[in-house]
Amino acid sequence: MSDFSSEALRIDGDPAGDHRESVDTAPSLSPRIRRLLAALRVDRYPLCIEKLKIVLASQHATRNEPQILRRAKCLESVLDRMPVFIESGELIVGQGASRPMGLELDADYGIWSPEEIESLKASGFDITPEDESTLAALYRHHAPRTLTAAIGAIAGESERLWPFLRSGVVLPPWKDKTEGPGGGYAQSGLGLGPGFYLMCVDIPRVLNRGLNGLIAEAEEERRCLSFLEPHAADKAVYLESVILTYRALIRFADRHAALADAIAAETSDPARREELRLIARSCRRVPAEPAGSFVEALQAFWFLFLVLNPSPTAAAGRFDQYMVPFYERDLATGKIDETGAIEWLACLRIKDMQLNRVSGKANRQKNAGLAKWHNWTLGGVTADGRDATNALTYLLLDCAKLTRLPHHTLTLRVHEGTPEELLVKALEVVQTGLGLPAFVGDRSYIEYFRSNGVPVERARDYVVTGCLDANLPGSSRTCAIGMFVVPLVLEMFLHDGIDRRTGLRVGPPAGNLETCEDFPAFLAAFKQHLRHFMALAAEKNNLELSVSRELFPDPLRSSLMDDGLRCGKDVLARTMPFENGAVLNPVGMINVADSLAAIRRLVYDERSIRLSDLISALDANWVGHENLRARCLACPKFGNGDDYVDQLARDLYAFWADTTTEFPTALGGTHKPTAISITSHQPGGALTGATPDGRRAGDLCADGTLSPMQGADRNGPARALASALNIDQDPYQATLLNLKLHPSALSTPADLRKAALLIRTYLTHGGKHLQFNVVDRATLVDAQAHPDRHHDLTVRVAGYSAYFVHLGKVMQDEIIARTEHRAC
Amino acid sequence: MSNAIVFNIQGYSIHDGPGIRTTVFLKGCPLRCQWCQNPESQTSQCEALLHAELCEGCEGCVEPCPRGAREVVGRAMSVAEVFAELAKESLFYAHSGGGVTLSGGEPLFSPAFAAELLARCKQAGWHTALDTCGYASWHSVCQVLEHVDLVLFDLKHMDSRQHFAGTGMPNERILENARRICHELRVPMWARIPVIPGYNDSTDNMTATARFIAEELSPSLPVYLHPYHRFGEGKWEQFRRPAAHRRFDPPGESHLHGIRRLFESRGLNVFRGGEERE
Repeated sequence: MSDFSSEALRIDGDPAGDHRESVDTAPSLSPRIRRLLAALRVDRYPLCIEKLKIVLASQHATRNEPQILRRAKCLESVLDRMPVFIESGELIVGQGASRPMGLELDADYGIWSPEEIESLKASGFDITPEDESTLAALYRHHAPRTLTAAIGAIAGESERLWPFLRSGVVLPPWKDKTEGPGGGYAQSGLGLGPGFYLMCVDIPRVLNRGLNGLIAEAEEERRCLSFLEPHAADKAVYLESVILTYRALIRFADRHAALADAIAAETSDPARREELRLIARSCRRVPAEPAGSFVEALQAFWFLFLVLNPSPTAAAGRFDQYMVPFYERDLATGKIDETGAIEWLACLRIKDMQLNRVSGKANRQKNAGLAKWHNWTLGGVTADGRDATNALTYLLLDCAKLTRLPHHTLTLRVHEGTPEELLVKALEVVQTGLGLPAFVGDRSYIEYFRSNGVPVERARDYVVTGCLDANLPGSSRTCAIGMFVVPLVLEMFLHDGIDRRTGLRVGPPAGNLETCEDFPAFLAAFKQHLRHFMALAAEKNNLELSVSRELFPDPLRSSLMDDGLRCGKDVLARTMPFENGAVLNPVGMINVADSLAAIRRLVYDERSIRLSDLISALDANWVGHENLRARCLACPKFGNGDDYVDQLARDLYAFWADTTTEFPTALGGTHKPTAISITSHQPGGALTGATPDGRRAGDLCADGTLSPMQGADRNGPARALASALNIDQDPYQATLLNLKLHPSALSTPADLRKAALLIRTYLTHGGKHLQFNVVDRATLVDAQAHPDRHHDLTVRVAGYSAYFVHLGKVMQDEIIARTEHRAC
Repeated sequence: MSNAIVFNIQGYSIHDGPGIRTTVFLKGCPLRCQWCQNPESQTSQCEALLHAELCEGCEGCVEPCPRGAREVVGRAMSVAEVFAELAKESLFYAHSGGGVTLSGGEPLFSPAFAAELLARCKQAGWHTALDTCGYASWHSVCQVLEHVDLVLFDLKHMDSRQHFAGTGMPNERILENARRICHELRVPMWARIPVIPGYNDSTDNMTATARFIAEELSPSLPVYLHPYHRFGEGKWEQFRRPAAHRRFDPPGESHLHGIRRLFESRGLNVFRGGEERE
């Protein structure tokens, strides 16, 4: 008997079955959206220095004022002076740079040396020669105090920390005490950063109360101030900064209202004229006043979001939840219909696509493909535990499917009661190959907060920030996130604590490992070594928090936290009720589990090789030791449901979680464990020599944090998920698991329902996250060879989707190599 | 406890029965289909195959080949061992209405093992399916089907001489087993029809097949068409048995559509392999 799969059906094209009917009834792109989508396709992105000029001038003018007020005035200058423009056909207005699709060089996060600028030009970014020379002159006259220089000034003097920063165990490795890893950021968005905070402010507060309402509240706080209180003077400055910021944002909206009216006056097309008048009315009303309609709520959201940017991790929170009252009200009164809503939501996706970001060379590797994680959280449960799915949940998915844009990212919260229909709808989006949405499990995410003392009603309101880290909107934030390369620590452990790349001692002397009597003794010694490095990473985090607190007080974000006005303090100057200000994040843990399994089997169980011989083979990068490498590769690998190695992975992750919480943070509270790797497994792997799992020097590490090593899982996705469920994920703020599915595993409606069952089972039994790439190998290989034919090919990288052709070759190779699970 | 030679355990098997399943492929088959997609499944013994494209002639085969060019297909496993493998994904069966599909080769070629394994699966509360060519003694059929929730039954050709020419065996016993499973054992069945252009796809044979299903089995039997594909061709080379293999062309879409209509005109519900009843 034969094993016929349905594969051949797709050789001749799409089956003509009646189950495809739904495609015909799906909404199609309007001419407006088509035009706006076309405008997004640019070959080269403009780098702009308009904002840098304004910021540096403001910093100079305010140099004698308190830092928080300087930051407020800086933002005020930007909002008052940046050119504003409205593009043809736009419904939501507000741009993140002085030119369309532009990126503004940031002032505060690093210096753009001529070498870094050259490298940017080589990577598809343009800067005019005039701007390039102006930039050099600006840097000569203003030397902004950057985050890296401030950290370097302190860490550079530490005998412990400096070799650690140089090693790259926390990526990327530092080269220079003042420039750190090199380069800064260029981003779109009118705020001042900070760049990488994982947080979601209380967005509905602005939509529902309007900034004028919040200004009144702040003024009331100011009136009530008694200078008999110890921090009253600081609070006075803080409140002034907040009010100044809010007023600037209102004026910024007014500038758009005036512009829209001016354009309307010159527009001959009556329909467009009416749209521009509507835009003008909205911009006069919001964000100053409470939004009165769905359309106004979207515009208010966008103005706020624009000022929360630049940030690769700006989160929209539970967008379907706080937007749906506006939508339903307008729907009931006939102000809007479903088609209209999709048009506006598509415009919002397009606005987010206009926000770009690029960093210095060293950081570009870590986050390949113009990475950003503007995460919209959908679905999940309400505060009282009921299913929270609503009409907007579906419309946001429809809109992603329709526009096929990789940003903004969508994350769907899944629980026992998530409708099957919603999961299938989400999988139809996945099916397009867009890599969206990611699926996260309410059970484990909520348990993370509950076990940290958060009341369950509050925990149920969690949102996904950045790639996958959970935070509570308006009441928690994660501000220091180091990517910690665990295999590099294993390498140093096997070399007595010495960094082979720099020759510096980073770890404590490990002593003669041959004296370890058995595997448990060996494992205990490794954990001890790992703990030493984790402490160093925590120290570095704390340094970063302290310096950020000093340099980047942020009146806007701070005021939009719980109790943000009354407390009178910056968000980094408070200890939050649930404190997760800094996290430790392991990259390549799976390679270490696989490596330890190989050592255990070959060195201790079989005693067929001495540890020193294995180390020699690693040092030789397996050259001349191919047979030993084959034996190492044949040892049990994580992701196949094999307890021999799965228990090691479980043990390592438990050790990491327990140990992390031993380290205090500079914000009060302790470090928290998280496990996302973004694309750090590439630079992390590049720094790390050959590892006992059979990996060659410089090769990638396992992607994600619970994904098996690329190609190591041979038993299908259910087995890989079963291995991941062996790991206690609850103590983690996030975990990441990528599955690459061949289109044949996700082609019919029945396939989608089975995938929905796979997702629901994983996410209701302790799994935290799951995402799919659905592109066949042939397409990817072709795209690598002919990037011009595949501009719009989107793949899921790690917590975000990216255009495949924008990824470097190594990342492309990796996506191709990730095990492709066929349907059988 | 019984042993069998297992050549593959395939997880997340979603086209071989309801829900999320694991399919266990046993070695050994009474038929020698010219189009067989899994030629490694035919003999009952473990055998070494060569991935010629990987072999560099290093002569290191005595040691484990560092390139992985040598692979031994098949591993003797006990019922307990196979069950332990299946249990690793059981969480997913439970929540999807899925379970285990026993395939091959021909699982009825190892009836004691098949019966024992499927009995344990049933005991664990998993749905059980048997993927069979139908060529087995009635005794074996009864012994195994006692523990089976669903039979996936292959129908290759209605003309016994043609059946013999294509598979090495006549079809009388197969058709008789199909009738008796339907009417005496009353185990739910899906009919699976490999569509092999130039062999069994003529209007005459497809009409006869449809008539057999509708009139002699049951008009409510779901029919699955499995178009021939070429993914198995490389394996014939690896086994150095290319002589036993005949090359076919995959059927075209419009041709498949015609066959589908032919079955539907008899009132049968037709699906493509991979599709499932809504």
